[in-house]
Order: sequence, then C-alpha cells, then structure tokens
Amino acid sequence: MNTATKTETDPGSFRDPAGQVLHLGNRVFRTVTDHGWNGFSMVWDSGLIADMSADGLVLSLQQVDPDVAGNPPNTAHLFETEKLPFVSWPFEWSFSMLKSAACLHLDVHLKALARDFTLSDASAYNVQFRGSRPVFVDHLSFRPYVDGEIWAGHRQFCEQFINPLVLAAKAGVMPNAWYRGAQEGLPTADVSRLIPLRHKFSWSVFMHIVMQARLDRAAVSGSEAVDTGAMSKARLPKTSLVNMLKGLRSWIAGLQPPPGATVWQDYAGNNSYASSEASEKLRLVGEMVADVEPGLLLDVGCNSGDYSLAALEAGAGQVVGFDVDFGALETAFARGQARDLNFLPLHFDAANPSPDQGWAQGERAGFAVRAKGDAVLALAFIHHLAIGKNIPLPRLLNWLMDRAPEGIIEFVPKEDPMVQRLLALREDIFDSYSFETFITMIRARAEIVNDVQISESGRRLVRFSRRQEAD
Amino acid sequence: MKRLPIFAISLIAVTLVFQTGPAQAYLDPGTGSILLQMLLGGVAGGLVVFKLYWTRIKGWFSPAAKSSDDGQGSGDT
Repeated sequence: MNTATKTETDPGSFRDPAGQVLHLGNRVFRTVTDHGWNGFSMVWDSGLIADMSADGLVLSLQQVDPDVAGNPPNTAHLFETEKLPFVSWPFEWSFSMLKSAACLHLDVHLKALARDFTLSDASAYNVQFRGSRPVFVDHLSFRPYVDGEIWAGHRQFCEQFINPLVLAAKAGVMPNAWYRGAQEGLPTADVSRLIPLRHKFSWSVFMHIVMQARLDRAAVSGSEAVDTGAMSKARLPKTSLVNMLKGLRSWIAGLQPPPGATVWQDYAGNNSYASSEASEKLRLVGEMVADVEPGLLLDVGCNSGDYSLAALEAGAGQVVGFDVDFGALETAFARGQARDLNFLPLHFDAANPSPDQGWAQGERAGFAVRAKGDAVLALAFIHHLAIGKNIPLPRLLNWLMDRAPEGIIEFVPKEDPMVQRLLALREDIFDSYSFETFITMIRARAEIVNDVQISESGRRLVRFSRRQEAD
Repeated sequence: MKRLPIFAISLIAVTLVFQTGPAQAYLDPGTGSILLQMLLGGVAGGLVVFKLYWTRIKGWFSPAAKSSDDGQGSGDT
C-alpha cells in the first residue's frame, strides 16, 4: 500500500485550463479552477455526472474539501474520483476495444446533449477500461451546450477513433503502430489516401474522411478563398449534431475487424499441448493465485486468455493481459465482455513495448512504468522472445521478474515442437538456452516455490517468490 | 470603405468571439471539419463551401490568381 502524503500532478494532465488530475497515494483527485468552475458548476449541479456514473458510463466523482489533498494551488473546488487499477492507451487496444470506446464516447455525448450539455473534445484518451467495459474518465470535458455550436471535437474524433477503425476494417491494416507513433491519432488526409476506392462510396467514409480531407486541402491550398469570418460563425443545428452522432454510432457499431483468422486465433485448439498439460497448468495457476491473492495480475503472452480467466476464477482482482496477436486479443476481449470480467487484454510487442511518450516524454507512461503487478504469468512465452527475438534468457527473466514479486514462468525446452518450429528455418545460436540457465537465473533473485514438469517434451512451470528480496 | 466607430468594431469582435464558443478556445476544430459541418449543417453553410470551390474554379481561368498561398486556416495544427 502506498501511503504517500504528497500530491503529485498527473504528468498527462496539463492541457485543460479548467483543472488537473492529482495523485495522493492510492487516491485520485480532480482540481477545478475558478475559470473551469464557470461551466463545470452547471454540469455538476445538474446531476449529469452522478447519473452517468450510476449507469457505469462515467467514472464516479465526489466533491471533497480541498484540504483533503493539502489545498493544491489553483483549486477552487476539489473532487475525488475512482482509481483504476491499470491505465491503458488507445494504441494498445484491439479493434473491438477501440470500437467499444468510440461507441461509449458517442453515447456519453448524446446523453449529455439530451440535457443541454456537450463535450469540449473527443479524445480517445478520455476513455479507459474498467475491467472489460469502457468508461469515460475526463469529467472536465463536460460543459454547457451553446445552441447551434459546431462539434468542436469532430476532427479529433475522426483522427482518434474513426480513422484507425476504418483503416483496419476497410483497408485491412491494423493501426496500432502508427497510432502509437503519432499518439494523437491518424491524420484524415493520410487515411483518405489509403482506403480502397470501393469503400469510399460509403456515406460515412465519404463525408468524414474523403470529404473532410478534401475540404481541408482546398482550404489550405486556396487560402484566398477561405472565409474565416464565415467559418467562425459556422452553426450546426442541434438536430443535425444529434443525427450526426447517432449516424456515426450505428455505423461504427457495424464495423468489423479485418477478416481471416490469425496464427494464434486457433491456438487454443491447434497447438502441441496435450489436454492433461493444459489442466495441470490451470491447476498451478489457480493454486498460485489462491496463495498470493493478487489484486493485479499481469498475464504476459495472454493469448486468448485461458489462464487469465483461470486466475480471475481463482480470485485475482484484475488481470491485464498482453499479447502481440490481434486475433487472440479479439477473442480475449470478447470473452471478458461476455462475462463482464475484470480482464483487460492489451496489444503489445514484448521486444518493443510502449515507451514513455508525449510531451516531455511523461504524458503517456510506458509499459515499464505501468506494468507492475502483484503477480505475473509468463506461460509459453519465453521461447518467442529468447529464440524468436534473440533476447538473452537472463535479461528476459529479469525483465519478467521485475513485473511482480510473485509469479509463474514456463520453461519451454529446445526439444519442444514449438521451439523446433521457431528453429526450423534458422541456425541454432542459442547455446545458453537451457533449463540450467533458466533456474539459476530465477534462483539468483527469488525463492523457487515449486517447479513442476508438465509435458513429456520437458516443459516446466516454475513458480517464484521474491517477497524476501531487499529492493 | 467607411470607417466604423471603435465601439461598433469592438461589439462585432466580442460577438464573433462569443459565437465561436468556448470549446474552440480549448481545441482547434480544424478547417476541413468546420467546412464539413457547415455543409452538413444547412444550405447557408453549403454556400460557403460552394464559394470556396467556385473561387478555385475561377482561379484556373485567371493566371493572376495563383499568387498567395500563406497557409491560412491550415488544418494541420
């Protein structure tokens, strides 16, 4: 438990002049400045946020005495909000996760408009996942609606939601690497160039991507023709805005991830495991979770989530899964949503995880900062990194043990058919890849709680505990 | 052009700022997005967009019109 007594400003919270997010130990606060209170007081007094948080759409918020957080500067009013066990970024989400976040953003906007409020932006970073459900987290985005105003967040909504979804659904290209690089979304002009012609005839693709990109280009290249006076007076009747949001909502809900099963999508039913092996792994995971009772368990290489689900059933508070395969992540997310589990499967490449990025490289914390749990699972994982990506085994094990004080790491020997497949087309340069190296490295940092052989090929599950480690 | 009194200019400026709305102070909506919404928002908006294209079409027939390109109103912000 963190018992810090000093508040820290969230490094990603600086753009909004209306207020900031503060952390104090395990508590999260929102400051509202005098300037921000002008609009937000109306939002707060209306009960909009209380109603939407009761429906699970918006993170809960309670007004508290500024004294609770040591009277932070520029704070006219102080609120406390719920602390999420794990924060993720849109470029770490699978297609269906980004789609569900987009739908939530539109639902929240429509419900606000029905009560004469609106959202000042349309950022995908306004959304987080609580378990498998998206939740709107940026309370200060709400403000009173001004009759006839345009949708100021439209371009941002396109860049951060529509463009990546359309790139995946219509061009079959997963947007995550590009999204991560650009951070604020995919430029409409670029995505417009990449969409196959036949998809450009869809009304939504045409208007929100092709037409918007053309108008942007026309306005820039023909500057003498841009009537900025008329633009600043642009009006969008409320019914048009509501219809646009509703139209986008139903269109986005119908978008599908790129077709074709990926390598890992059939993995659970099409791999070299014998079923007794899988049941032994499930038993060992359940046993570890029952002993450790982790609030946050990280499942590195979660695939479609078999062991994440087993960990949740055994009592883990929340499981965050990480996998490189989009097909497996689609399955994992669908399983979590169907049963409303505290399971967050995220996209990541272990050889190149999310870096610290954004303004001053502090705005969006990277994997190393965030991925600290109470327990870690790395099942059928290390050979992909050690053999597939030439990561030295000792470094890999240290990196895995840095994730949590307790955990299970599976050793997959060279003789295993899965490793043989990785070595089939390349020279075996991995002399140090052995169980001896593996167990020696773990023992150097942790106590071995148990070491169980689970397959005839020599796969072993090693449970470690570095609770006694003096770091 | 007849010079307007300071008061009238201030009034127009204040009105324009007010009509821009508080959201746009926080987030640049982008030129293409505004024009698109004018187009979707009604006939009056549609005319502004039409005018934009019409000026360009006229430009093709007038060699003198290809002078300035100061990037005003760029959506790339």
